[in-house]
Amino acid sequence: MGRTTRTSSTRWRLGRWRTGVAALALATAGGLLAGCSSDGKPTLTWYLNPDGQDTLNAIAQRCSTDDYDIQTRLLPTSATDQRVQLARRLAAEDDTTDLMNLDVAFVSEFANAGWLLQLPDDTISDDTLSGIASTVQWDDGVYAAPLWANTQVLWYRKSLAEQAGLDMSQPVTWKQVIDAADSVDGATVGVQGNKYEAYVVWINALIEGAGGQILSDPEAGKDAEVDLDTEAGKDAAAVIAQLAGSSAAQSDLSVSNEGTALAAMYGGPGEFMVNWTFVYKNYEPSDANDYSKDQFDDLGWARYPQTVAGEASKPPVGGIDVGVGAYTQYPEYAQEAAACITSVENQVQLAVDAGLMPATSSGYDAQELTDAYPADLLDLYRRSIEDAGPRPQSPFWATVSSAIQATWHSPADVDPDTTPEKSQDYVTQVLEGKALL
Amino acid sequence: MKRKIGLVVGVALVLVWCLLPVAWILALSFKSQAAVSNGSDPGFLPLDSFAGWSNYADVWADEQFRRAILNSIGISLISTLLSVIIATLAAYAIARLEFRGKKAVLSVALAIAMFPVVSLVSPLFDLWRTIGLYDTWPGLILPYMSFTLPLAIWTLTAFFREIPWEMEQAAQVDGATSWQAFRKVIVPLAAPGVFTAAILTFFFAWNDFVFGITLTSTEAARPIPAALSFFVGPDPFQRPASLLAAAAVIATIPIVLIVLVFQRKIVAGLTSGAVKG
Amino acid sequence: MSATTTASTAGTRAPRAETERARNENRLGRRLVAPAVIVMLLVTAFPILRALWLSFYSYSLTAPDDREFIGLSNYVTALTDSLFWRDIGVTVVYMLVTVAFELVIGFAFALVMHRVVFARGLIRTSILIPYGIITVVSGFAWQFAFTYQNGFVNSWLPFVPTDFNWFGDTLPAMIAIMVSEIWKTTPFMSLLLLAGLAQVSDDMVEAAKVDGATWWQRMYKVILPNMRAAIMVAVLFRALDAYRIFDNIFVMTAGAEGTESISFLTYRQSIEQFQLGMGSALAVLLFLSVLLVAFVIVKLFRVDLAQARGEG
Repeated sequence: MGRTTRTSSTRWRLGRWRTGVAALALATAGGLLAGCSSDGKPTLTWYLNPDGQDTLNAIAQRCSTDDYDIQTRLLPTSATDQRVQLARRLAAEDDTTDLMNLDVAFVSEFANAGWLLQLPDDTISDDTLSGIASTVQWDDGVYAAPLWANTQVLWYRKSLAEQAGLDMSQPVTWKQVIDAADSVDGATVGVQGNKYEAYVVWINALIEGAGGQILSDPEAGKDAEVDLDTEAGKDAAAVIAQLAGSSAAQSDLSVSNEGTALAAMYGGPGEFMVNWTFVYKNYEPSDANDYSKDQFDDLGWARYPQTVAGEASKPPVGGIDVGVGAYTQYPEYAQEAAACITSVENQVQLAVDAGLMPATSSGYDAQELTDAYPADLLDLYRRSIEDAGPRPQSPFWATVSSAIQATWHSPADVDPDTTPEKSQDYVTQVLEGKALL
Repeated sequence: MKRKIGLVVGVALVLVWCLLPVAWILALSFKSQAAVSNGSDPGFLPLDSFAGWSNYADVWADEQFRRAILNSIGISLISTLLSVIIATLAAYAIARLEFRGKKAVLSVALAIAMFPVVSLVSPLFDLWRTIGLYDTWPGLILPYMSFTLPLAIWTLTAFFREIPWEMEQAAQVDGATSWQAFRKVIVPLAAPGVFTAAILTFFFAWNDFVFGITLTSTEAARPIPAALSFFVGPDPFQRPASLLAAAAVIATIPIVLIVLVFQRKIVAGLTSGAVKG
Repeated sequence: MSATTTASTAGTRAPRAETERARNENRLGRRLVAPAVIVMLLVTAFPILRALWLSFYSYSLTAPDDREFIGLSNYVTALTDSLFWRDIGVTVVYMLVTVAFELVIGFAFALVMHRVVFARGLIRTSILIPYGIITVVSGFAWQFAFTYQNGFVNSWLPFVPTDFNWFGDTLPAMIAIMVSEIWKTTPFMSLLLLAGLAQVSDDMVEAAKVDGATWWQRMYKVILPNMRAAIMVAVLFRALDAYRIFDNIFVMTAGAEGTESISFLTYRQSIEQFQLGMGSALAVLLFLSVLLVAFVIVKLFRVDLAQARGEG
């Protein structure tokens, strides 16, 4: 971007001085700080979200070259906090934000604000899975490189499904799943019901699954058409209301997240749980956990439940795209590094080590992956991402999402007759700047 | 006798009230992370899930946390030092000199003590990023100084009013130079007050959260409270309760040390505002 | 004020030297307070004026170039919004409940500390730990204590099911937040009240006792009236502090379940939503509401501001 070189060089010197002081201070504390290396080799800073950080650190090492080093810095846990931290750095025109892991939901916002460097069009190709490829495109350009694509499936205890008499070989609906858990004493349905982004992921998937859409023309930004007060919106609300009102709801439904729901799988009779792909590695017996082989064998998976019986579900798509900061001092190096980081080999590595699935078809075909995962699970993932119902690509998605959270939380208060209508009005007003959020 | 028993019960209640949550966080910090995330050992004490020092080791191994401690110590000490120096000058003037605008100074200090910190967050962020103070030590030191000055000025004014300044003149009459008189007579009398103000100022800076989360964005300047709220454990979806507890205990150690050593002075300083000087 | 007394006696004898001296003293005094005043105003006055100016704009961090003057629209939107008033209401509840509890518990603690002759150091140390502990740490400690998976609160309290989710509804979540707030700040309150208690002369209490006054009568007729000033200053400071509650909410609920305070709303608008214009308008409204609360307390309880200012 056309920033004047003078500003950036002053900034750079200031930044160097600060790093120097910090390094000096840190040396006393016995720590290590990767700043500018002594030989004057530039260091690119890559902001990571916490998923798979060990693998990503190794990738940073591998993608460091003779020309530059890549150092990593960790962002907070929640997608919303990650967005706030990055946005404020970029709004401050920080020239050390070279590379960043962006949740797929926020790429359009950052691109629209001019905070991301446009990348070559061949960053995505036919090999890129379509569900994730759409998340990096904005205004006819490509603004980030897909690193890994995530989706949700229905995880369950096989013994529980059996006990409840639910046939999992056929597509199941939300109603069936909730009724099944309801019928077994102590069985539950795990979802993401805290007031945060993943709750909206659930709502969006429910609405998409009923053939609806939250925004019909997200590119229109603030003037986008809000479509919450629809049949699809009511169907979605009905599912949430049914779960919240049944004994299948977990006690912490209103604060539940991807992590809290995990414990119920092997506590008591077990659970049905919609959750991301990391779940498989989470339960696979290893040094990091104490799950037994028997327990693991009892774990089943199926396609995301249908909102409306007979209508194919639209599973959520998530994941991480790597963006290049618009104010970086080393745009060429950073782009090169982004391409290296998101290479198919690295994607496969992430999938094998951390359970974060590839964003490319060829990644799914890799030998290491087919060795590490059951073939039917890989197939389920890939189909889920292909048939996914992504969240709307709106630069105001954060606003829309918060407004939906404000009206749909807590799950226990969701009412199919009033919630969709109320949220429709509220989201519209918020987008127009006529209501507080 | 009845009164004595009542008093003992009262003391016990005060102690339980003050120390129970501290004991709780301490107990939590020794529970294993797995037990906490499964909820398998829900009792108060880490009975089945005693993890030894492993949580402390894990927290200490986290570079961001070590940086946060360093930031907090550095930023708090520098702002305390600067704030106390400036406040000493002001308090001396208020306690000893007659000048126009004295009331105004005290009113400004009072107004700032009541100021809603959050209302400054947005304009300060905007200002700091323009002049390059965003995510730096000075960017936090400045607001800490502004918000600790009122407290420091009050405390010091109250202390300075109690100093028998005539002794300075008496010493000079006895042949001491004015520097000697100041150093030998006034400094020892004023030092406890200055010290108390410094401790209270340090507590404020150490405790601050609002500026810490809004004016920083990396470990370059992020202080402990903000780092705690962003703390990421091995399980990205759950707050690592036992790790956080260990981190919280580490962050509380300096406070406990200061309290143990200087309890008398802190109480004197805290109450000096309410008791007339 | 020994300096002034000396100066004025000298003044009657040598008026010219006195004016010179007074002028010097005036100048010196102003020079000495200048750095403090500058630093205090630098970080408060200028930003709040800038907030006032920005509050007339529609201004988003993501689109700085689209900044647009919209007059009082932000204020109209905020003041006609039910969320704003709801948050004001929630904030006032936090303030009233926490200060009331702190006052009662703090006074009881102050009585204990006033009477006790043993273990003074231990009590002093214990009571200073909650005061010195980081609010965020207190928030975490209580949040973990209240969660049903790992906490002890549910199992210790009678009539509470062990899987009761304190953070699932507004009232219990607010209770959890207020418990953390009260725990952390009661020691401060009790120390201020202890100082007030120390000022009540023992002779008066003894005299009342001799006259046959009961414990309650002594408390209401002698001790409390004589502590009035100390109580009022403590209430004023704690109330304003509680009105600005933020840290505990951030850590414990992040504003979910309608536990959001007006400070949290302001924070969210400007920091999370990037709406600098609306955030600034809310900042100004927050500032004004704090002034209003201070004014009401001062008028209602006739707090002696001179004492609060430390003019003694």
